[in-house]
Amino acid sequence: MSASILSRTALRASSSVVRPTAVRTLASVATSQSAPAEKKANIKKFEIYRWNPDTPEKKPFMQTYELDLNQTGPMVLDALIRLKNEVDPTLTFRRSCREGICGSCAMNIQGSNTLACLCRIDTSSSAPVKIYPLPHTYIVKDLVPDLTQFYKQYKSIKPYLQRKTATEDGKENRQSIADRKKLDGLYECILCACCATSCPSYWWNSSDYLGPAVLLQSYRWIADSRDEFKAERKMALENEMSLYRCHTIMNCAKTCPKGLNPGQAIANVNPLTSPYL
Amino acid sequence: MASAFRTSALRTAASAFKTCARPALAAPKIAFLKPQPRIAAFHTSKSLSILPPGRQVIEGTINDAAPVPESNPSHGSYHWTFERLVSVGLIPLTIAPFALGSVSPVTDAVLGAAVVIHSYIGFESSIIDYIPGRKHPTAKKVFMWILKGSTVLVLVGLYEFETNDVGITEAVKRVWKA
Amino acid sequence: MKRTGIQRDVLALYRLCLREARKKPSDARENFRNFARDEFRAHLDIKKKDFATIEHLLRVGQKKLETYSQPGIKNIFR
Repeated sequence: MSASILSRTALRASSSVVRPTAVRTLASVATSQSAPAEKKANIKKFEIYRWNPDTPEKKPFMQTYELDLNQTGPMVLDALIRLKNEVDPTLTFRRSCREGICGSCAMNIQGSNTLACLCRIDTSSSAPVKIYPLPHTYIVKDLVPDLTQFYKQYKSIKPYLQRKTATEDGKENRQSIADRKKLDGLYECILCACCATSCPSYWWNSSDYLGPAVLLQSYRWIADSRDEFKAERKMALENEMSLYRCHTIMNCAKTCPKGLNPGQAIANVNPLTSPYL
Repeated sequence: MASAFRTSALRTAASAFKTCARPALAAPKIAFLKPQPRIAAFHTSKSLSILPPGRQVIEGTINDAAPVPESNPSHGSYHWTFERLVSVGLIPLTIAPFALGSVSPVTDAVLGAAVVIHSYIGFESSIIDYIPGRKHPTAKKVFMWILKGSTVLVLVGLYEFETNDVGITEAVKRVWKA
Repeated sequence: MKRTGIQRDVLALYRLCLREARKKPSDARENFRNFARDEFRAHLDIKKKDFATIEHLLRVGQKKLETYSQPGIKNIFR
């Protein structure tokens, strides 16, 4: 008997887990459906890169979907979520916050790397929206790239505060407002890998070159007034591959969905080109 | 304002890396409304057929940090500074002989040497970029030696040209007038 | 027989799988060995020149091996 109670609670638990997501989908659809129903359907095509790891010998292909934009949210991610919910549940992509703060939904939309949640569906033309995964990454499935190397490189720059001494009063490490200002344009980076995968230098040498995002993070710690390992951090970049494969192509700054400039951060690492160091 | 800038920037970026994501080139133009889902062929091989980038090499397990190479400023910041100094120095060196109107063997020799060093650094950079030492260590070595050999050859040639002939500046002058 | 680079990679991975299986507790070794064997057998029909697929499977295989070669993992079932 106890077992049946257990199973029942388990069932209830699982249903309560499912419910919120169901409610949320309904809500998002309901708000969009409040538009007049007799309005002419505004069909938009979405061409999406598909590849299934369960049948690895089948080549990747582009699959075309159609959606009525009158019933879809304005962003590409809204369209993707609706496609997955209502048309094709096998469509796979990463997403989490849907407001440009998690960096999960980075993908190549209309030829430029960006976050699907920050990218409006282009309504000005009837051309299909083309969606690819981040270029020059190994694909896990459909739009999901394998960012192992990216994260390993991020780890290699020691992205945390390092100090040799304790603060004078033994309290937290404080910083002046002017010092904090130096981190503006650096701390906003969400590591979505849009810039790294848009960098031709990184396409060629991703095994050795750190790429714009990781170098921006490296500079974020070099620029931090509280960090006491600046010299070591800079020394770690003193070789021909890690930093100096940057050829100021500046695709990173063009593509960054958060409007940051990793190219400037890379230049700032070198004292000759830096306004701060 | 930032967002307005962003959209235009995105559009320019769109053309910037079409190479990687060239969509189905051979796919036929489809009529506006057709039953879905439609599956188009996917081509990237064509645009990448010249010399595709090598495989990404991942060292260690997922949780290890990527290895940090040995530090050596003469391959890092010193090299960079030297490269920029040579590049910037080339500008006055090129203008000087024509502006001053006099041809001296010393400025000629300095100009020749600077041009050779500049091109050596440039070629070296392309070799490092496009022949990854990790994947093709022998090929990289071979190309570096070819580059070193040809640099020496060019230097010897320039020396001969300077000592036994008219020199760079005079030669350019003559070609210009001819 | 001279083998190509990718063939050697595949064999090296298989050898590594068997070697890792030997480090496991004696009653589970058979399971690890069979698991590796089945994983390789499942893709026997892949064409020899289908490098993209083989490389993908190698990467996936390496990741799986990395996971189950951790000493905390004592046994493996399908």
